[in-house]
Amino acid sequence: MSQIRIVRIHNELLGTYGDQGNAEVLAFRAKFHGITTTIIDVGYNDPLPTNGDIYLLGGAEDAAQLLSLEALQRDDNLNILHFAIERGAVILAVCAGFQIIGNKFWANGQEVDGLGLLDVISVPGDKRLVGDIKTISTVLGFELTGFENHMGRTILGSGAEAFGKVVTGNGNGDSKFDGAVLGNIFGTYMHGPILARNPEFADLLLTRATGRKYAQITDPLALKYASWRRKVIK
Amino acid sequence: MRLKLSILLAKLAGSLSKNVLRKSGETIPGRVLLALYPKAISELSKSRKIICVSGTNGKTSTTKALVTIISKLGTVTTSPSGSNLDRGVATALMQKSEYAVLEVDELHLSRVITEAKPVAVLLLNLTRDQLHRMHEVKRVADRWAVSAKGAPETLFIGDADDPFVELALAAAAQSHRVSFGGRKHLDGAVCPSCGIYLKWNRNDYKCACGLTNLNTDALFDSGSAAYRNATLANVTGQLLGGKAIAIDEQSLERSVNREYNGVKANLRLTKNPASWTEALTSVTGNDVVLIVNSREVDGIDTSWLWDISFAVLSGKNIVVCGERGLDIAYRLHVEGIEVEVTNNFESAISKFAKGSHVHVLAAYTAFHELVRA
Repeated sequence: MSQIRIVRIHNELLGTYGDQGNAEVLAFRAKFHGITTTIIDVGYNDPLPTNGDIYLLGGAEDAAQLLSLEALQRDDNLNILHFAIERGAVILAVCAGFQIIGNKFWANGQEVDGLGLLDVISVPGDKRLVGDIKTISTVLGFELTGFENHMGRTILGSGAEAFGKVVTGNGNGDSKFDGAVLGNIFGTYMHGPILARNPEFADLLLTRATGRKYAQITDPLALKYASWRRKVIK
Repeated sequence: MRLKLSILLAKLAGSLSKNVLRKSGETIPGRVLLALYPKAISELSKSRKIICVSGTNGKTSTTKALVTIISKLGTVTTSPSGSNLDRGVATALMQKSEYAVLEVDELHLSRVITEAKPVAVLLLNLTRDQLHRMHEVKRVADRWAVSAKGAPETLFIGDADDPFVELALAAAAQSHRVSFGGRKHLDGAVCPSCGIYLKWNRNDYKCACGLTNLNTDALFDSGSAAYRNATLANVTGQLLGGKAIAIDEQSLERSVNREYNGVKANLRLTKNPASWTEALTSVTGNDVVLIVNSREVDGIDTSWLWDISFAVLSGKNIVVCGERGLDIAYRLHVEGIEVEVTNNFESAISKFAKGSHVHVLAAYTAFHELVRA
């Protein structure tokens, strides 16, 4: 496959914390591998495309998060996501998006059912967790850096594995783990955007989406940026 | 008596800070005053008419314009430039006057409204900014609306094209709603009043709950942020009995000209997606310096750089610096724009030949350092 479709879900709602950059970084890294990409922006009233290769969700304020959830539960959208997962498509969900794809979460003071794609529940904490975060990804085996800004505390069920082990920061709220992963579904609290700060993770998502291994990319600036952030966040 | 003594001590602290420690000495007096006399703001506000200016962008220049207008009506005190937390407000009020025009931080506005009981509050705009501190745009908007509702004696003036401003105007007992013919809002997808998907028709919004920028008290042509802010200052001044002043967009932009070894630099403050987007439209030349910092007032996170389209910089000579120069270098790299990264402003500006005109877009802290130097 030399062409992939990157689906940016509800950027108008889930674009508050800069996570839209994840799509741009994926497209940029893909070019090095000779993969052509299309970024499809899905609006609140649009149906999800059935043939996406990577679906992205970002961080949001509470009201926007609830609207996005409602839209994803509407029509055939949830089936489209289930089918995408079966096809081996990748889902990367950040912060509010991570909560949306879990079993339950809280927004605007009420508990709601999420999409149930990841076996996690999120509950509100007593204080907002804001600051730099560094983890060691259990899946990737290397350090990731990002920025977290959330009230949520996320509890993993037996069907999900933590995405990263926290080195600095709070992650899911216990300062031990961040995010969750199941197959090609990734949830995390890391903004930055995460793929800008950790371009190797973008490469892994491209590999997962296409089922192909790619040669290492030579992009000195990306390497310099990622390693500098890893060095300064202790 | 105790208030007078507190003011005296606060002034002394200010002059010590200025003359001995060589600091700006702008916020120290207010800080000391509030520590010694916590109710200073409400006490000192009683004897005069208070006008507050708040919003994400344009507070300082709009406050200045409003001071010019109000000074024709009586004596005016104002906040030290850019010092808009409660201590800046307290500093401004230490001097006697008939009017005080105060620049107030978005999160401090509620407290200042409660304590100073302003006759008028001018709300400019509200967009994503310093989210590590503001957390959510809606959170700030809700505070504004609660304050507006709780201040029936105060006239709220604002740009109704911004749904977050309109939320406060709609909550106020007395309001003067201004429109510039509608404008898209980066954070305007959700109705801040009822939480449903906000219905936009081109540049105008009209929600089923009633929140809208239509049918305002005044309608002006669309224009730059500087023009809108100046117009809002004029409207506010006129409502208070003053005369409108000529709008000079250049002087209203937060922009300053400096020369560095024969290199002419136009410095402009850029601190969030809205102000960057506005500033980028002014980059007409080919030589550009971008400075990104990440101190408290800059926003300690740089994710928002990805909310901005830098396409207009394509093909220009760009040098970046600042604590987070690499962040913007990589962001531009992904957008297909290559830059040179330097360690500091001196070496960035030295990359340009004598006689060249360089646009310098600077983070909040960098801008203030350069202007002060």
